[in-house]
Amino acid sequence: MFKAKLKEAVICFGAGRVTLDYPFEPVKVPPKFRGKIEFDPRKCIACGGCANVCPPRCIVIEDMGEVAKLTFHLDRCIQCARCYEVCPEDAIWPTEQFETATPDKNDLKSEMMVWMSSCQRCGRCFEYDNAIDRFPSKRWRGRGPGEANKHGIFPTKPPIAFRPPPLVREEEP
Amino acid sequence: MAVQKEYLLDLWTHFPDVLEGLQEDVPGQFVATVPREVLPAIAKHAIKQLGARFVISVATDRRSKSGDYSVSYILAFDEQREFLVLHAHVPADDPTIASITPEVPAAGWSEREAFDLVGIRPVGHPDPRRLILPDDFPNDAHPLRREFQYNQLFAFEPQNAPPRKDAPEGATVVPMGPFYPTLEEPAYFRLFLDGEKVVGSDYRGFYNHRAVEKLGDSELNYNQIPFVAQQICGICGQVHSCAYCEAVELATGVDVPMRAKYIRSLLLELERIHSHLLWVGLAGHIIGFDTVLMQLWRIREPVMWLMERVTGNRKHYSSNLIGGVRFDITPEAEEDIRRVMDKVETEFKAVVDAVAIDTQLMSRLKGVGILTEEDARAIAVVGPTARGSNVAIDARVDHPYAAYAELGVQKQVQDGCDVWARTMVRLMEVFESIRLVRKCLDDMPGGPVMAAIERPLPAGRVGLCSVEAARGEAHHYVLTGDDNRPYRWRVRAPTYPNLQAVGVMIEGEQLADVPICIGSYDPCFSCTERVETLELNTDRIKVYSREELEELSRRKTLG
Repeated sequence: MFKAKLKEAVICFGAGRVTLDYPFEPVKVPPKFRGKIEFDPRKCIACGGCANVCPPRCIVIEDMGEVAKLTFHLDRCIQCARCYEVCPEDAIWPTEQFETATPDKNDLKSEMMVWMSSCQRCGRCFEYDNAIDRFPSKRWRGRGPGEANKHGIFPTKPPIAFRPPPLVREEEP
Repeated sequence: MAVQKEYLLDLWTHFPDVLEGLQEDVPGQFVATVPREVLPAIAKHAIKQLGARFVISVATDRRSKSGDYSVSYILAFDEQREFLVLHAHVPADDPTIASITPEVPAAGWSEREAFDLVGIRPVGHPDPRRLILPDDFPNDAHPLRREFQYNQLFAFEPQNAPPRKDAPEGATVVPMGPFYPTLEEPAYFRLFLDGEKVVGSDYRGFYNHRAVEKLGDSELNYNQIPFVAQQICGICGQVHSCAYCEAVELATGVDVPMRAKYIRSLLLELERIHSHLLWVGLAGHIIGFDTVLMQLWRIREPVMWLMERVTGNRKHYSSNLIGGVRFDITPEAEEDIRRVMDKVETEFKAVVDAVAIDTQLMSRLKGVGILTEEDARAIAVVGPTARGSNVAIDARVDHPYAAYAELGVQKQVQDGCDVWARTMVRLMEVFESIRLVRKCLDDMPGGPVMAAIERPLPAGRVGLCSVEAARGEAHHYVLTGDDNRPYRWRVRAPTYPNLQAVGVMIEGEQLADVPICIGSYDPCFSCTERVETLELNTDRIKVYSREELEELSRRKTLG
């Protein structure tokens, strides 16, 4: 028994200090890290591909005739990265942000609207190679009324940039 | 079809006409449709006489297809490396089937579940109480029936709570729960004690049942389910998404590239390494040996960081889709994995060298939580729980999936039948997994990692896949459907059969040994708020806090 305890003691002393200083020191995430998603309303063509593949229905697209409304419920997001994998326009991408705790659930919801019309070339919006992810969509992004909406976009509720206040270690009294 | 297998010939001679429709659409997976009257007899014969292992039974509402229900028994012939699926149609106006639980105890829960979820009543079941549905769920609502919506609302009916099992004469009842001291999920055990000895137990669980199967056959599509499947377990997520994908691929004949299979095996083995390291640490924690907890979790953390670098997330790898994996293993990632494996192997070996000769540890774990080989076979336990009881089953060898047919896994079997044997199985499996990770990297062929799927997947096909998770065999059954989603998706996690063995395992043990006994089959650990003791004769209530129960378990180590 003492031999075992001696060996265990050697392991413990050899390990040294391994605890990180997070959250007082920020942590750098690796390049492939799947963080909170961000999107660019100027690039989105509202093809609905992201909403079609999203497992938890974090991204919901509503067809409102001339307008398509996209809603992002980031409180549901499971960081699977399917949305930016299928996006044909790179309009959605991951960030390094993982500290998304907030006292108000609505902070995690954002919306945008895109003007739509039928595709003049093929009548189809976008087609995937993979038969499982294919879905019928025959619309194309159109132009909104007036110069003010040059891109046909209404960012009705823009995403909130999460930046938690830096934590400072309290001085020992 | 030609019948060459001995066990099929035997079934053929005993039940001559019923196996006529036997098909083998997927190699090694035989499917037969038999009349409802003979299904229990065939299943019993196969299990009792031919040594088949009861995996799970699946109840399906097929009224939108063939106008009736069906029950399917999945039997595993581990030595022959084959599965036999026996379907029986159950008429919609008389949804009953004869229970096989009196002869095959392993079927107990799945028959109760079939009634809860689909409404097929097992006639002659010794314990037909409600198992899965909440206490206040309506009696006539069966969620996996087609007309039931996944978001349906209804009035609560609290009077529907299932009755509790009566304690033996003179025994003290100790309720443990609704949060178990070492389980992450809520689980409610009622232990019947004679003094300090456990003489019986009752279990009520499934408080966390979240109906992913309902979502799978009504809301999600084929490629969304892997990500929901991986959320089933916080530790073996890759196992469930892999089992689901392989089941669909087998059913629909999708040809997965070899490189994708190797990547799946690689990630599965890395997952097993960190899961076993986690378990050994927690086992130490339960019995008050926190050195093991601290050191093994320190060794484990680099594996988690490695997974974050390789896959993008420390736990949910999100790597599987139908047809392959989503990302490749780059040469840099390969280098990274090899480096971390070398470090883990050296450090883990040092710990094993120390704890394997620690007589204090042995005194707490040897001879405790005995599960004999006969019981292990009767209840059909899986994984290290079975292998610690000298039942040499390992899905990686018996029903190879991913790239395991090429990798050559060595089964780790112990015959101690106690907690120590289960611990040794897991310790040895870590070294085996490290070897397999290296072999995966050495042998991994080049090429694509995703198959081209040009046409919609065909409907009406059956696929099965068993994946050896760290805690046992996870089994997925998929019956494909029309609208880009399965018609029925059945998940059986490894804890499902293992939990049914707890009653046998803890009988005759002391109360202080119960946490490590239940812990020894590796459920997901966590903390509880309190444990309440109610003495029957005096109605005196003693409330143990979590700390007190842990203290009770730990004090025993000090003697």
